[in-house]
Amino acid sequence: MQINGLLGELIQALCCLPGVGPKSAQRMAFHLLQRDRQGAGNLARCLLEAVDKLQQCSVCRTLTEEKICAICASPSRDQSLLCIVENPADVWIVDQATFFAGVYFVLHGRLSPLDDIGPEELGLELLEQRFASGDVKEAVLATNSTVEGEATAHFIAELAHRHRVKASRIAHGVPMGGELEFIDSGTLAHAFNGRTDL
Amino acid sequence: MSGRCRVWGLMSDYVVQLQPAFVLHGKNYRETSVIVDLLTRDFGRLSLLAKGVRKNRSRTAGLLQPFVPLLISYQGKAELKTLTHVEMAPPAIILQGMSLYCGLYVNELVEAFLHQHDPHPEVFDDFHRCLRDLSTDESFDRILRGFEVRLLEHTGYGLQLQQEADRDAAIRADLRYRYTPGLGAQVQADGAFSGETLIALRSGKLDTDLVRKEAKRLLRSVLDYHLPGRPLKSRQLFAQLLKSQRQTTC
Repeated sequence: MQINGLLGELIQALCCLPGVGPKSAQRMAFHLLQRDRQGAGNLARCLLEAVDKLQQCSVCRTLTEEKICAICASPSRDQSLLCIVENPADVWIVDQATFFAGVYFVLHGRLSPLDDIGPEELGLELLEQRFASGDVKEAVLATNSTVEGEATAHFIAELAHRHRVKASRIAHGVPMGGELEFIDSGTLAHAFNGRTDL
Repeated sequence: MSGRCRVWGLMSDYVVQLQPAFVLHGKNYRETSVIVDLLTRDFGRLSLLAKGVRKNRSRTAGLLQPFVPLLISYQGKAELKTLTHVEMAPPAIILQGMSLYCGLYVNELVEAFLHQHDPHPEVFDDFHRCLRDLSTDESFDRILRGFEVRLLEHTGYGLQLQQEADRDAAIRADLRYRYTPGLGAQVQADGAFSGETLIALRSGKLDTDLVRKEAKRLLRSVLDYHLPGRPLKSRQLFAQLLKSQRQTTC
């Protein structure tokens, strides 16, 4: 049976979430309306407020309520060390998992010719301005270990070299706790290619 | 390349085993899956659903990347079939730096020129050879021009490099020519291309800088003619990267 009206609209709207199809959207809609109306109100208010107030940080392009995000504005952060990531979620992941004390730059994607994503779409002009300002001493390229991520890292490294900024790439290969027997051959080939001196 | 490949057309299920393939492009699908666009040797370009490859500790995520020579198995009833097995067909091909951008360009060319489910085993073999050469040899111009010429030839848009378009005369190294895509070369005193370039493209030996430059210009105009309104994004990317490198060295 086709659900029309407001309920149908709500189900359709929930389908915009990643990994949510019509069936899951229907379950969510019924749960919110039948069992948790207060939660639904809360969700609606938060969503509206977030969409209204969250914007890109004018320095690093991560999501923030202020003009400049807390990390960029923090005096305890080393402004000369810049970590470049693909998504805002990566900022939190790197910040929680490492001792990185510098600042970030978010690309919101990666270079992908087949998806029609080039340097303009990634805000590389803004990044180049930062390199040109002379404040950045090292750029840590923490894009994903995919072909597009590698291409992006190489492109940014060239930009960094042009402005005499040191560029480094995060290591990739055998994961911690990984046994060679269970590692796929592609990763192992890369691990051998990127081996380091001891 | 291994010739192990079996196809079963059962009552309703279609099964292909250990088919040589390369990933051209992947698009995330739902939470953990990817729809991969592949170039296979015997079935041409096709899209497959690779379930669960974006999960933690997935053993296939590292393999389902462009430029990895693969053997894949897949099955299904619907248009979009499911990838059931993937393994690497050694040796691995590792592209880095400029060769990586050349690889992205070759990928985009193949995606633009080949239609889905239109098998071209010779293009597949050329593609494989081209990637292998890019990973071991730095004469990118020669490798890319060779691939472009053969790709055009195999897809029915072959260059006319043997004889002139309007008369039964062989191309001569000491003359200059005008080249019209779809027609061929015609003698013209102030033509954009030397006969030497056309002959060099035929033999694949691009020895001098001038020949390489002219060959690049010729192939660019022919490729653009056959891809109207579709600028190649990887070519723009390559140009921007070269510009950046030149400014670094200046």
